[in-house]
Amino acid sequence: MNTIVDTAIFLGKFLYYFLESIAFKIIPRRKKDVAGEIVLITGSGSGLGRLLALHFARTGAILVLWDINQESNMETCRLAKEKGGVKVFAYKCDCSNRQEVYSVADQVKKEVGDVTILINNAGVVTGKPFLDIPDHMLERSFYVNAISHFWICKAFFPAMLQANHGHLVCISSMAGMVGTSRLSDYSASKFAAFGFAESLFLEYSMSRKTNIKFTLVCPYFIKTGMFEGCTTKYPFLLPLLEQEYVAQKIFNAILEEQVYLLIPKFAYFAVILKHLISPKMMIVLEEYLGADTCMDSFKGRMEANKPQEEVERKCQ
Amino acid sequence: MSSNLKAAGKFLVFLGKSLFSILEALIFGLIPRPRKNVAGEIVLITGSGSGLGRLLALQFARLGSVLVLWDINSEGNEETLQMAREAGAMRVHAYTCDCSRKEDVYRVANQVKKEVGDVSILINNAGIVTGKNFLNCPDELMEKSFDVNFKAHLWTYKAFLPAMIANDHGHLVCISSSAGLVGVNGLADYCASKFAAVGFAESMFVETFALKQKGIKTTIVCPFFIKTGMFEGCTTRCPLLLPILDPEYTVRKIVDAILQERLYLCIPKFLYLMLFLKSFLPAKTGLIIGEYLGILESMEGFTGQKKKV
Repeated sequence: MNTIVDTAIFLGKFLYYFLESIAFKIIPRRKKDVAGEIVLITGSGSGLGRLLALHFARTGAILVLWDINQESNMETCRLAKEKGGVKVFAYKCDCSNRQEVYSVADQVKKEVGDVTILINNAGVVTGKPFLDIPDHMLERSFYVNAISHFWICKAFFPAMLQANHGHLVCISSMAGMVGTSRLSDYSASKFAAFGFAESLFLEYSMSRKTNIKFTLVCPYFIKTGMFEGCTTKYPFLLPLLEQEYVAQKIFNAILEEQVYLLIPKFAYFAVILKHLISPKMMIVLEEYLGADTCMDSFKGRMEANKPQEEVERKCQ
Repeated sequence: MSSNLKAAGKFLVFLGKSLFSILEALIFGLIPRPRKNVAGEIVLITGSGSGLGRLLALQFARLGSVLVLWDINSEGNEETLQMAREAGAMRVHAYTCDCSRKEDVYRVANQVKKEVGDVSILINNAGIVTGKNFLNCPDELMEKSFDVNFKAHLWTYKAFLPAMIANDHGHLVCISSSAGLVGVNGLADYCASKFAAVGFAESMFVETFALKQKGIKTTIVCPFFIKTGMFEGCTTRCPLLLPILDPEYTVRKIVDAILQERLYLCIPKFLYLMLFLKSFLPAKTGLIIGEYLGILESMEGFTGQKKKV
């Protein structure tokens, strides 16, 4: 009897949420107001972190910017203030260092207040075949891209739980959903970040039914300089993404409290396929899409200062 | 014009290969794949002192492989060694090694290379679980969890992969978990480390494929909870679809997958369906399924191993 009732309730809820999500595909979700929220962004000195900071600056949110590079972080701070940021606080912080994370977190709590929107965005990539990556670089990838999320969450989550109000954003990657050649350490760390955030989502959102929101973001390669030199075989399916486009999508997803965000839309299809097809078929598909060669001409951030035209020429 | 022809050509090749692989998958869905002979292969198993590691060692002992057993617990490891000899293993070598420490891994790996030879089947099995909610889990314990469950894989790959590539012969086995494919309530650190293990093994698989190292095989194993004592106290609400697995059954399936050189193995089969559903269903609906299956409360009664980690 119990099973029948349980199953009935389950089917009811299932249908309801399924219909709800279809409805929201047509009518846009309401975007929440984040004026006055304290938004912390790691890796705000450049790339995606900077663009997200600028988006939030326009909303009236209070910005807390963390980056290992003080100069570029101060630049973000200045730009954010220009964009209308009322209160912007910049801190130098090496996210891979546990003590530093905790001590800067304490500073933030004292000087600014309790962080309500936490964006774990800081990331590094090596981009070499595994056996060519020195051990310390392997560890660094891991500490910055994944383990730092633990400490940062530990620092700010309790206050969110106390207030029953908060939003955790994890910037993972497509490489955090599908293994990629020459990105073994990066991929592993992005998988870990995703798994960690998903576990927290299940625990705090579904199980304990708190009011804490979660957004897990998995973009394909973005043209921020971080993946300079990468190529894509079929740009209409898997394009090298424009920074501004990605930042806008992520920003919207946060305001609409979307849980999973994969960019571009083809990525959803690729992930579904991955679970459907046999490994040999997956290899054939990856070969066709160029997943095995996309990192072959990877140069990374050193080359990011070269003029845009040269980059465009290499992408042809 | 010619670039269009090229693109069309590439697409046809892709279709052809896809069709072939679909047919192959269908055929092998009906007739079992051939199982390779591992007699004489040097099989290294981490965490062989107990649980799954020990059972794997016994299976490979019966298949005539040379065994290299690594565990932090020398007593348990010696016991496995005795049992392996009784099961018929001609050559068994046991080493005490703390996989969470890079220096230890490299030191013992060098010993193995000198005393035994080049490892051809590497089974990264050693794992620990804290079972604590991440806010209550001391940082050192979380890092330890990572060091054993994931970083150890980096060091063992670095130690043994070069020889495998040189011989164009090797098999990398990653014992991850269903918690490495789907987040689990109450297991944030374990999940993160198991996700990392899956991501790493999968990336390395794509890399060996891209570098045309055809002799290197990969198998990624993702079982649900197994009754080895590691997840003592965990419950499942739906034993029909997601049972707490019997260790013997699990090990048989794992060894089978290795002998057939399969890439992924999820146990029980229901996991495949669950993962597929999760990939396209909206977040809340996917979770309703989890709630119904009782996965969300499965860690509530966790007590874990009686002995200290």
